[in-house]
Amino acid sequence: MKAVLIDDEISNLENLQALLNKHCQQVTVAATAQNVNDAVAAIEKHAPDLVFLDIQMGEQTGFEVLKLLPRRNFEVIFVTAYDQYGIQAVKFAALDYLLKPVDIEELKDAVNKAERKLAAQAPGSQLDFLLQQLKKPEASVSKIALQMQNEIRYIGLTEIIRCEADNTYTHFFLADGEKILVSKSLKEYADLLRPNGFLRTHQSHLVNPKYVKSWLKEDGGILLLSSGEKIPISKPNKETVKKALQQL
Amino acid sequence: MTARGDQSKAGYSHRCNLTQLAIQILRQSIPLLFRLLPFLFYGFSFAIIAASLMHIKLNTMKKILFTLLCFIIALSTVQAQKGINFNYTYAAGGKLLMNIDSLAKNVSYDNIFPNQPRTSFNYLPEVHHLSIQINFRKNINIQHYRYTILIDDKPMVVNQPINEAQLKDSHAGGDEEIFRSMILGTFNIKGKVITTLLYSIDKPQDIDKAVFYGKPIPKAQIKGFAKPTPVVNGYSFGSLIDSKEKIKLNLTKKDDELTIIKDKSAIDYVYYTKIKDKQTNKIIFESTAWQYGGYIDNHEFMPHIKLNKTVFKKSGDYEIIIQPLFSQWNITPKEMEKYTARYTLAITLDQENYSKSELWIYVLRAVLAIGLAFIVILYFIKKRNQKKLAENEQQKNTAKLRLNAIRSQLNPHFMFNALSGIQNLMNKNEIDNANKYLSKFARLTRNVLHDRELISLAQEETLLDDYLQMEQLRFGFQYEINHPENLDLDITEIPAMLLQPFVENAVKHGISKKGAEGKISIAFMQQGKDLLLTVSDNGNGFDITKKNNGLGLQLSNNRITLLNDIYKENRFTLAVQSNPGGTKISLTLTDWL
Repeated sequence: MKAVLIDDEISNLENLQALLNKHCQQVTVAATAQNVNDAVAAIEKHAPDLVFLDIQMGEQTGFEVLKLLPRRNFEVIFVTAYDQYGIQAVKFAALDYLLKPVDIEELKDAVNKAERKLAAQAPGSQLDFLLQQLKKPEASVSKIALQMQNEIRYIGLTEIIRCEADNTYTHFFLADGEKILVSKSLKEYADLLRPNGFLRTHQSHLVNPKYVKSWLKEDGGILLLSSGEKIPISKPNKETVKKALQQL
Repeated sequence: MTARGDQSKAGYSHRCNLTQLAIQILRQSIPLLFRLLPFLFYGFSFAIIAASLMHIKLNTMKKILFTLLCFIIALSTVQAQKGINFNYTYAAGGKLLMNIDSLAKNVSYDNIFPNQPRTSFNYLPEVHHLSIQINFRKNINIQHYRYTILIDDKPMVVNQPINEAQLKDSHAGGDEEIFRSMILGTFNIKGKVITTLLYSIDKPQDIDKAVFYGKPIPKAQIKGFAKPTPVVNGYSFGSLIDSKEKIKLNLTKKDDELTIIKDKSAIDYVYYTKIKDKQTNKIIFESTAWQYGGYIDNHEFMPHIKLNKTVFKKSGDYEIIIQPLFSQWNITPKEMEKYTARYTLAITLDQENYSKSELWIYVLRAVLAIGLAFIVILYFIKKRNQKKLAENEQQKNTAKLRLNAIRSQLNPHFMFNALSGIQNLMNKNEIDNANKYLSKFARLTRNVLHDRELISLAQEETLLDDYLQMEQLRFGFQYEINHPENLDLDITEIPAMLLQPFVENAVKHGISKKGAEGKISIAFMQQGKDLLLTVSDNGNGFDITKKNNGLGLQLSNNRITLLNDIYKENRFTLAVQSNPGGTKISLTLTDWL
């Protein structure tokens, strides 16, 4: 895989390159760039399969590199020092990101995943989705990208009835009856969807309040959904769930 | 009972021998017996009829008759006792003494009234018979005296000289002194008024008058009220006012006085007037004398009293009470009420009058009220000040907290990139350097986490040195920290993390793009008593007039504001100079050294 590394700090570039050379030998670093313009030029020149993109580059952001490119037919792994601007959008787009200092295992996983995705699907749609999300204010996200085995699905948040944990996987139950399995933990989705009103009723349940029909008092509290499903409410979550439902 | 004598001594009794007394009783009982004859006749006839009807035996009849006779005799004896008691003599004013019915009650004798020094008033409403006696001292020229006796204003005797043949020597009340005395007359006084006048032809104007009043004194009546506003045709009385009525009066600013007019009576002088404030039940006015002149009714001067308006302090109900005033009169309040005229006067004042003491009380109350209000206001002001103070304190505290929050915000972006830099050193096998920077990073983090308000300039220098070396690792610029020899870095303290944000700005916005050509200069300087701290870079500068020049400058300004909130007196001044050749920030800590 041909890769372009983009970061405003030379030591970070050196470091990432060293790590890739040592641990991800399938990756060939075609070029590095320390600013937006150089990055755009490098990508256009080398047409990489994979781009490691620093989000915060001095006073600019890595997203600007993406915006400036007419074609985005490559996989992107974002590299960021700190969870801040844009990271939420990255998560909604189901794109991969690494935190500095880079963890070698995470790096390997990300590279492997990118490799698999490149083999399975045409890259770029997620980046389009990301750029769309970035244009909007953060709270008004209406869709989420779900990475499935061989495809990426963009699901409206209103279509999601609930999510259920299955070890490190998460089942999405959709309004049309479809069930999607995603290889990310429920916790990640809970963190992502909570600002959109989703309720963590239980360690392994995340519920869209739009589909809550009633609160049953049996067994210490159960939510009856309009789909007829009964979702348990664990004790520590009772108060927050109650409050949230009262506000609706 | 003791009687009061005139001229000689007060209190003496008259002593007579027993035969004299018997004759007196007999004399008194004969007319009584005559008066009782019809009753005796009826009694006997009733007894005879009753006896014949009841067939009572003659013996029993005799007994009954005897008993009845005894009863009648006893009764007549009692009646006889009611005759004049010569054993008991009252002073009757001037040279006069009097004797009256032995069982007479409600007697008040020898009353002298204001402005009537030569008039003696004897009130004898329940007396039937009266004997008037005159006494002369031996040295007095009796021939010069003349006396007049009027019965109900009709003269019986006029200017009569004393018949010296009738004068007898007598001891007045067992006194050593011997008086020449005679009885002027004995009168049936019931329902009559007997007046005696006595004068000496040497002083015909000094007439001693004695009034023997043998009927009840009438209640006084108020004829009307007048306000002395002069009218062309004099004054007109109000209509007769019934005592039960409530009289309403409005006293305006123009009215100074109020005149109360009483009905005319021959004995006006016995009445006195008082006015009671019905709210406080206090007598606010008393008058024992009547005025005459000005008010005429039926060709007579009407007795009246004038009240100054100031008598009435406040609007409200007042009671006018007019009653006889006798010096010695044993009478119950209930009986007194028969002689008492009461009128209720509802006064409305346009301007309330207050006495000095009342005014003082009002002033005192006002002062108290104002004082109290003042205290209350003071209390609230104090409370508000306390609240303000507390708020200020809280503000200061929040400022501190916010400052702390800003202070502890060592840019995470920097931190993780710094760590990334150390990771790079490790991966490049520069283990010594990796150790060095890792230690610096640890020390820097420790300094930031260690929450102190003030640190020494030396500590700040170390912190900045560590920080800049870490940044140097990322961007490869040059820097220097300068300070004069005489500035004691260990002693001088400044708020922790004061310069770091400015230095970070210099790195981030100034020289991060310049690589090795970038240069940052930091200087600690002393300017008189001020401490001057400067951070300069040779970056591209920025437009300081533009707003939102990065979060960094905004944060810096916030910090300065907060610091001034905490340390007061605006001791922190920030000056920023920027041009395309570089940026210099100067932070002055006024009066710091």
